[in-house]
Amino acid sequence: MKISTKGRYGLEALVDLAIHSSEGHVNLKSISERCGMSEAYILQIFLILRRSGIVESIRGAQGGYILAKDPSEITVGDVLTALEGPLAPVACVAEKSEHTCDRYGNCETRGFWESVMNTMNDVANSITLDDLVECYNSIANQTSEIEYYI
Amino acid sequence: MKFSTKGRYGLRAMVDLAVHAKGEHVALFSIAERQGISTNYLEQVFSLLRKSGLVKSVKGAQGGYILAESPADIKVGRILRALEGPLSVIDENAESSGGNETNIQQCIRMCVWDKMNEALNDLADSLTLEDLVDSYWKLAGVEDSMYYI
Repeated sequence: MKISTKGRYGLEALVDLAIHSSEGHVNLKSISERCGMSEAYILQIFLILRRSGIVESIRGAQGGYILAKDPSEITVGDVLTALEGPLAPVACVAEKSEHTCDRYGNCETRGFWESVMNTMNDVANSITLDDLVECYNSIANQTSEIEYYI
Repeated sequence: MKFSTKGRYGLRAMVDLAVHAKGEHVALFSIAERQGISTNYLEQVFSLLRKSGLVKSVKGAQGGYILAESPADIKVGRILRALEGPLSVIDENAESSGGNETNIQQCIRMCVWDKMNEALNDLADSLTLEDLVDSYWKLAGVEDSMYYI
């Protein structure tokens, strides 16, 4: 059960945006440089995030992206679900549909897979982008001193 | 984010084995028939389960597989780890390539992936094969009573 690169890179790029958005709109090029991802890939991710109401775009020379909401109102669950779909370990619990498996109504393991999905959602929904920015700031403060001396 | 068929089918096959063993060896083809999984595929699955000490095999005409331990002592987490490797939401090889983890990657790992992995492992280890066997009988009971209606 793995989160895809879309989910991993998307969360990373979004935390980068949240960290730098105090300076106004952030252009994709600067995110791409800092995170070491291609601009085209980030654009693809941000188009999905924009459709999900997580980021907003501004056109023009000074344009770029900004968070659509306060970082404390965007959860990791929102971001991962937008990019990955339901955090479901098996198809039958994601779609809640008997079309996914002929044993749907008669499966002793489906209950377990459902609790895996619920647990993953609970964890992801309990963490906000703000928590990640705070964590970043405390790490950055610790390491900045060391970096300057090297 | 999906588990592989190995984990999904393997878990069902283990419940089937636990339900039908009754102290005797169960032939793979009978599990395959009941579960609608190919015998070839089950052989791969059971070879992994045997290596992890979860089942024992007996060769010969009356041979087959039997649980190596009581269902109450076999945690679901052990079965899934035997089939899928470490239970992690992140591909450990893809992440943190050679210790060059950025600050952002580090905080996402600590605040998100580690927490999800911990919750996933805790959940899988809180449940035993016996719990799944109980669910099986509950489902079977519901079916029986439905036939009488």
